[in-house]
Amino acid sequence: MEENVFIIHPSEIVRKGLALILQEYFKMEITQLSSINDLNSFAAITNNLIIVIIQKGLVLPVETEERLRKNNQFFLISLSASTDTEGVTDGYDYDLNVLASNLEIQKLVQVIRKSASKTKTSNTDNGDLTQREKDVIRQVALGLSNKEMADKLNISIHTVISHRKNITEKLNIKSISGLTVYAIMNNLLDISDINPEELI
Amino acid sequence: MKIFTKDNKISSLVATNSNLIPVINRFGILLGFKEKTIEEICLEKNVNTDFFLAIVNTYTNENYFPEDELLSFSPLLLIDYLKTTHRYYNQYVLPKIERLLAAVMQTCAENCSSLKMISSFYQKFKTELHIHLAQEDEKVFPYIIDLYHNRVLTEGKSIRKYEDEHTSVEEKLSDLKNLVIKYLEPTYDPSAMVEFLNTLFQFEKDLFDHARIEDLILIKQVIRIEEELKTNAAR
Repeated sequence: MEENVFIIHPSEIVRKGLALILQEYFKMEITQLSSINDLNSFAAITNNLIIVIIQKGLVLPVETEERLRKNNQFFLISLSASTDTEGVTDGYDYDLNVLASNLEIQKLVQVIRKSASKTKTSNTDNGDLTQREKDVIRQVALGLSNKEMADKLNISIHTVISHRKNITEKLNIKSISGLTVYAIMNNLLDISDINPEELI
Repeated sequence: MKIFTKDNKISSLVATNSNLIPVINRFGILLGFKEKTIEEICLEKNVNTDFFLAIVNTYTNENYFPEDELLSFSPLLLIDYLKTTHRYYNQYVLPKIERLLAAVMQTCAENCSSLKMISSFYQKFKTELHIHLAQEDEKVFPYIIDLYHNRVLTEGKSIRKYEDEHTSVEEKLSDLKNLVIKYLEPTYDPSAMVEFLNTLFQFEKDLFDHARIEDLILIKQVIRIEEELKTNAAR
């Protein structure tokens, strides 16, 4: 998961200073914006860890925040001035005080990373293909439809689809011609079984 | 991630992201910038600055989506740009990839059948890409140009019907890459393969950014025109 950090603050001194500290410790990808509305340009991000730091009291454009929250691990941090009341207020996930030490900033980032990795779905089953999956790949390469495969292998279409999904996840190969090449390269199929012209 | 503005020096743009060199070349802007800003060089080369910025920022930041005001330039500008890009792919990039692949094949002495499969697969990808580019040049772009000039909707035609074409080409390119990395027996000269793969990776990224520009800018502009015409017709 990629990390995107946005520092949105009208003061360049604050933006640059905070960015410098974060970069020094975390080598994070940081985008500095001067106005809240600039974040709208980034509303299309998906599947990332997004940390947005804004001046306490300000709110993000509602639609943009909803969209980013829906599609990402999203954390909104308020940057409070020394005179503000302490602690996290409604609408923000965390609070950072301008007087915070380097150590406190590091701690905050670690807390966020931890909470993001907890909810991350694991997808580590990257083993070899099962015998059944090899059967399916062979039929895919021969050009059979899901229905035909289900009949031939005596399994339901639903099972065929689930096998195909697993195959694609394991191999990281999606196209039918790509799977055909895989099948031949791994001796699941002989080149004489297919028409190479068709692949071309 | 940095959003470039018209006051930035054009040399800093290229220094940040050297992948932009072919992109700005397509605007007729060549290296040797001296101290010129983006605005100055655009003025000099008669390039719309907003348009230039929308393109380079979309290329540089994967997650950047141009704000509405940046979308105010004419779609014809964008079409010209995209056509130039297609020509660059057809005349320069694809032949280069093919040359490099042929060079890899030449270094294979025995057990070359898998490599031949890869080569066939590449041909398949190339054919599909050619069809895709030609479809845009011959159907999609003329549709947009016509819509822009004549301001009339045609029954049964809309830009949304032309969408969804990118994915299968991108899928094949990604498959090609994974087949070579994970499953191809290395019966070839590694250095020749490095050159081939580097060019392929670069092209994959370029193609991806190219598709994003079409989807995020051009299609959005056309949908806006279509909706305007629909509203006018309803009145």
